[in-house]
Amino acid sequence: MSDATTSRQGARVGEWFALYGLSVLAALLLSALLVEATGGDWRPVVSALLDGSLRQPGRWGETLGTAAPMLLVAVGTIVSGKAGLVNIGQEGQLFVGAAFATYFGFLVGGPGPFNLVIIVLFGAIGGALWAGVAALLKFWRNVPEVLSTLLLVAVGGQVVAYGLSQSWLLLAPLGDRGNRNQVSQQFAKDNRLPSPEVFGNRIPLAVVIGVVSAIVVSAVLARTVWGFRLRMLGRNPRAAQRSGVSQTGYGVSALMISGAFAGLAGAVMLAGGGFAFGNYQLVPGFATNIGWTGLLVALVAREKALVAIPVAFVFAGLRTGSSFVGSTGVEGRITDVIQGFLVLALLVPPAVMFIRDRRRAQAAAAERV
Amino acid sequence: MTPSSTGRNGADPDVGSAPAVDLRKITKRFGAVTACDGVDLALRRGRIHGILGENGAGKSTLMKMLIGLVLPDEGTIYIDGIQQHIHSPHDASRLGLGMVHQHFSLVEALTVWENVALGETGRLDPTAIRNRIGDIADQYGLVIEPDAQVGNLTAGLRQRVEIIKCLRRDPSIVIFDEPTSVLTPEESIQLFDSLRQVVADEGRAVVLVSHKLDEMLHAADDISIMRQGVVVDRLLASDADAPTLARGMVGRDVSLRSERAALGLLAVDDAPAAVHDDQVGDVVLSISGATLRGASGVHALNGLSLELRAGEIVGVAGVEGNGQRELGDLLSSLISLDAGSVSVNGRRIPDGRSGAMAKAGIGVIPEDRHDSGVVLDMTVAENLVLVDQSNVSHRGLIDQHALEAFATEMIEQFGILCAGPDAPMWSLSGGNQQRVVLARELAQHPLVLVAAQPTRGLDVGAIEYMGDRLTAAAAAGVAVLLISSELEEILDLSHRIVVMHSGRIVGEFDRSDVDLERLGLLMGGAAT
Repeated sequence: MSDATTSRQGARVGEWFALYGLSVLAALLLSALLVEATGGDWRPVVSALLDGSLRQPGRWGETLGTAAPMLLVAVGTIVSGKAGLVNIGQEGQLFVGAAFATYFGFLVGGPGPFNLVIIVLFGAIGGALWAGVAALLKFWRNVPEVLSTLLLVAVGGQVVAYGLSQSWLLLAPLGDRGNRNQVSQQFAKDNRLPSPEVFGNRIPLAVVIGVVSAIVVSAVLARTVWGFRLRMLGRNPRAAQRSGVSQTGYGVSALMISGAFAGLAGAVMLAGGGFAFGNYQLVPGFATNIGWTGLLVALVAREKALVAIPVAFVFAGLRTGSSFVGSTGVEGRITDVIQGFLVLALLVPPAVMFIRDRRRAQAAAAERV
Repeated sequence: MTPSSTGRNGADPDVGSAPAVDLRKITKRFGAVTACDGVDLALRRGRIHGILGENGAGKSTLMKMLIGLVLPDEGTIYIDGIQQHIHSPHDASRLGLGMVHQHFSLVEALTVWENVALGETGRLDPTAIRNRIGDIADQYGLVIEPDAQVGNLTAGLRQRVEIIKCLRRDPSIVIFDEPTSVLTPEESIQLFDSLRQVVADEGRAVVLVSHKLDEMLHAADDISIMRQGVVVDRLLASDADAPTLARGMVGRDVSLRSERAALGLLAVDDAPAAVHDDQVGDVVLSISGATLRGASGVHALNGLSLELRAGEIVGVAGVEGNGQRELGDLLSSLISLDAGSVSVNGRRIPDGRSGAMAKAGIGVIPEDRHDSGVVLDMTVAENLVLVDQSNVSHRGLIDQHALEAFATEMIEQFGILCAGPDAPMWSLSGGNQQRVVLARELAQHPLVLVAAQPTRGLDVGAIEYMGDRLTAAAAAGVAVLLISSELEEILDLSHRIVVMHSGRIVGEFDRSDVDLERLGLLMGGAAT
């Protein structure tokens, strides 16, 4: 039996690789076709993508820095996903988290390292509270969290924009805002996340926070009673109800933790960003799609926190690389389409395997009848 | 042992002409398993042909080939003497083959006539369909209200709808697959009356697939017994008796009580050994006045009161859909009552509070294990500790070694067939999933064990095992509540029997003085 099992598993792994290879190849072919069809040449586009994400000086540090908040968002998404909840409002939770981090960062304003902890902590709290609104609506009034989290993105944007227009909230004092009318104060150097330089690349500490978070969450979900019960709730809510896993208790915590990670992502973008994310200050549109992309990372990683780490780096590479694509004469936003193709390509194999597994299971069941 | 030439109803079967259906050397393999192995079968008009066999004997596969759901690997099918290839249910229906399935394929939200019209093509003519239902109803005594909503009908009436659906296409060959599994004894008798009429008046050929011996003896003319994909015996019902049939079906003499129960052979005086007074202890579980309004305003539970003592098995008899599911859900903390209470050892347990019932010592083998009994996407080991992780964890961390050791022990002790503790639950067969549930619930040392339809879909060996375990649990002082729609199972195992109808307990018997007729009437709601 063990021989047969091993060979069957071997065949399965082979199938997986073949499927992923084929569908990624198809996505790349389609992307190349698209570039050609819009009057470009695919070779310089690929070259520019690699230059922008890895090859040019300082670029891979930039890519890592971009990957960090995506990874944090994805890790949070995985926590709520395991509980069977669909949180798709990370973009808003991230923004609100960043706003909390800004407000309390300047309100407390202690010595550097201490205030950095305050910034990160309140980023997480802000995101958690914003997701908590959706949790409250769900468990008090049965509003589906898919809708409420999504709609709260727009609400969050407006709320923070209001804060940015009021000097008693987030707006910087007159002397510090230059010619802009919606901008926060800039964090001083000792309030920024350190970015040690390695081989000419500045590696933000945020990457470490992201990777450690992914590892910790993966272990918590797999190895703790809390994670076990959370997974039970996600996979079979009725079995969980019978076994004493309270839907409200675990559901609210899962949603809030998910929001906390998005808020944390906002905080590290604020305090560690510098790179692509503003200039250590909060501005409208600060979230710059990191929330949405992080959601895609979680989707592609299929709720596995450790898998999310490489996926986040790939998506970050597409983002940092795309800024170089413009120089080839091809519209830089074409990478958004490529990213879309890639997401689809990475989602097709699991779907195909799911259908095949189910057919096989049905055949096996028919055999038993 | 070919059937002789006289039918039970005296009509002369057309011996000279070709049989309505003639299957020759039909073989079907699924991987390494041969479901049907060179099966010959001839169905004649005007006769009811019973096909008897255990689960997995190949009956269903054979019938599926006849109606085009499965293609045979070898062999030929003749319909009225002409060789036919049946590739789809559509082919089958064109050739006049119709099947009444074991599991209903009705849409609950639609009315009777709408369900009957489902699958028709062309313009919808409600009046014509209603009239046709009326005609069929008159002709066969299958009276039904065409405008009733199927969701509100009893199982017996739903089956009537299925039969009308099938007869509406005027099939010349009708297959009934385990038709009585959801019916009360009275409804079964009614069914067989109309079955006889279908045969006698119209010269149709009828196949009755079943694993119940008394049905074969009472309703069939010819009987074919299948075992492991082969027809092992053919005989006339008039020449057969129950022990012969049972021997043919199981392949040896049937002696075990549970086996006889599974085959429907249990006589009333075959009661379980009387419970000694010293075995039955104090009241452990007490439900009083449990009331639950259903979605449609009908009371799913209607003032149900029940007491259960340590060491006894109480069987809840009743036709499905009379609140048994809700009773199981209540004791699984899955529903909150509108009124009434549940107490364990005199302490009130809050209903509907997550985990409260399990914590109070109520173990449950649920009616549908996929609903609340197991998590298919988790491993066998994880499913063994779903309810309580305290023995395999330390300070909130799961101790993988302890978990694996516990799982390995349970797998061995309960004979769970699986690849190991880490095998995903969905990879197990239904019977083995059921053993995981049983192992988990018994490992908690429950005060009360609720077993809802615990043997549904299991084969004789597994049924016997389940019965033994429940009996052993009771002997060890557990109060066992057996909720089943299989009357034989209840008669076989229970010390005390209560009858459930319309969400309440309407009658109670001691096992030693059960009045089967009165029991049947109570189940049908005809007596109080």
